Amino acid sequence: MSGYLGVVLLDQVSKRYGRGQWVLRDLTLEVSGLTVLTGANGTGKSTLLKIAAGVLKPTSGRVKRPASVGYVPERFPSDVKMSASSYLAHLGRIRRTAAGDVLERLGFVGSLTAPMSELSKGNAQKVALAQAFLATDLLVLDEPWTGLDPAAAAELVSMLEGRTALVSDHEGHLASATRVDLAGGHVTIELSRVVGLEALEALEGVRSVLSRGSSARVVVAPDRSDQVLAEALRLGCSVRSVR
Amino acid sequence: MISLVRYLAADVLRGQRFLAPMLVFLGVLGMLFSYDPGPQLSAFSGSAALIYPIGAWLAVVVATSEDVVRREITVVSAGGWPRVLTAVAVTAVVFGLAFAVVATVWAVVASPRPYTVPQVLAGLGVHGVSVLLGIGVGLMFARPVFDAIGRTVLVVFGVVVMTYPLGRHTPLGWVLDTLGHNQVTLSALWAGLVGAALVAGAVVLGVRRV
Repeated sequence: MSGYLGVVLLDQVSKRYGRGQWVLRDLTLEVSGLTVLTGANGTGKSTLLKIAAGVLKPTSGRVKRPASVGYVPERFPSDVKMSASSYLAHLGRIRRTAAGDVLERLGFVGSLTAPMSELSKGNAQKVALAQAFLATDLLVLDEPWTGLDPAAAAELVSMLEGRTALVSDHEGHLASATRVDLAGGHVTIELSRVVGLEALEALEGVRSVLSRGSSARVVVAPDRSDQVLAEALRLGCSVRSVR
Repeated sequence: MISLVRYLAADVLRGQRFLAPMLVFLGVLGMLFSYDPGPQLSAFSGSAALIYPIGAWLAVVVATSEDVVRREITVVSAGGWPRVLTAVAVTAVVFGLAFAVVATVWAVVASPRPYTVPQVLAGLGVHGVSVLLGIGVGLMFARPVFDAIGRTVLVVFGVVVMTYPLGRHTPLGWVLDTLGHNQVTLSALWAGLVGAALVAGAVVLGVRRV
């Protein structure tokens, strides 16, 4: 994950609501494939997803994201008077793209022309997913399996294969994806005169490596920071800061 | 932008919350023009004063038609808050101008006096200016500037009510004053510019607030 190869990059992102507690502090994350966010309730997963999708602005830090982003919120509203077909058609026109076969693949049953408020929770979630899959570059999905039956949940897993997506997943549906654990915080190690970047990336506990020229920023799980620091020094890197 | 405005307009119409301001508007228009409203341009005074709070109400309806979560999806789909908040303002103005047309036509049809084309255009202009001022006030205090709908309603109501006793010290007062003299002067144009600035300011404020 070196350099700016990913489609979404959060660089030293921090977020607090008003003058409240910090929800995220100095988080650096690069997403170039299927990435799963884990962590206990209140660790900032939904906030991070909203920042990645462009719904929220970070209090500090930079965000780089592609043009076409699809977003599924944690809870799709249940009182929408518009029909599913009308909703998807409108969002397709806004994105200038045609609706795909997502609803069919997820096994949507029910009326596409009835108000969405009349849909079951699972079918409303399928509509939410269908609008997100109109996006071509990046999917940002907050607990997308909520309300889905087992067949639809399995189909969603297969639909995500090969896509670039940032997903919060409590239930472990995406076992093979890159995992980022927001629980327990992290340590950021700033390096210069970097050598052996691949070796650092492969170390246990390394969450992301962002390199610029001969410098790099390594984000590490707190309990592994000493080992990563020792390895960086052994490789001949210079340590500029540890936070 | 057009597809976004179409979506927001469809959502407002489907949600039916526009019915309350529309019915109040039509009902009061009916009362205003149930008797001779006076000379041609003066006849627009009552409806121009009425369409101002209706515009504010309508703007709040348009701004809050989508709930917070669905608005987030729209923001991501459209590519950001500035586009969505601009589309919300455009949608409110489109609805407001439709109300301005109704108010003008109603006055022309109900009045026993004949109207010339310039007088009809002047009527459209003053109604458009008044509704623009109302929309500006509504958007200025609606989501996302104020998150709580209760606070929005209280502040918008307070500002609208305070506008009338302030008379000629407000842009709406400039419009009503000129109509009171059975004429339309440049002050209506300045009031329109204030209305446009209010709407644009509400969009900028909203973008900064999110």
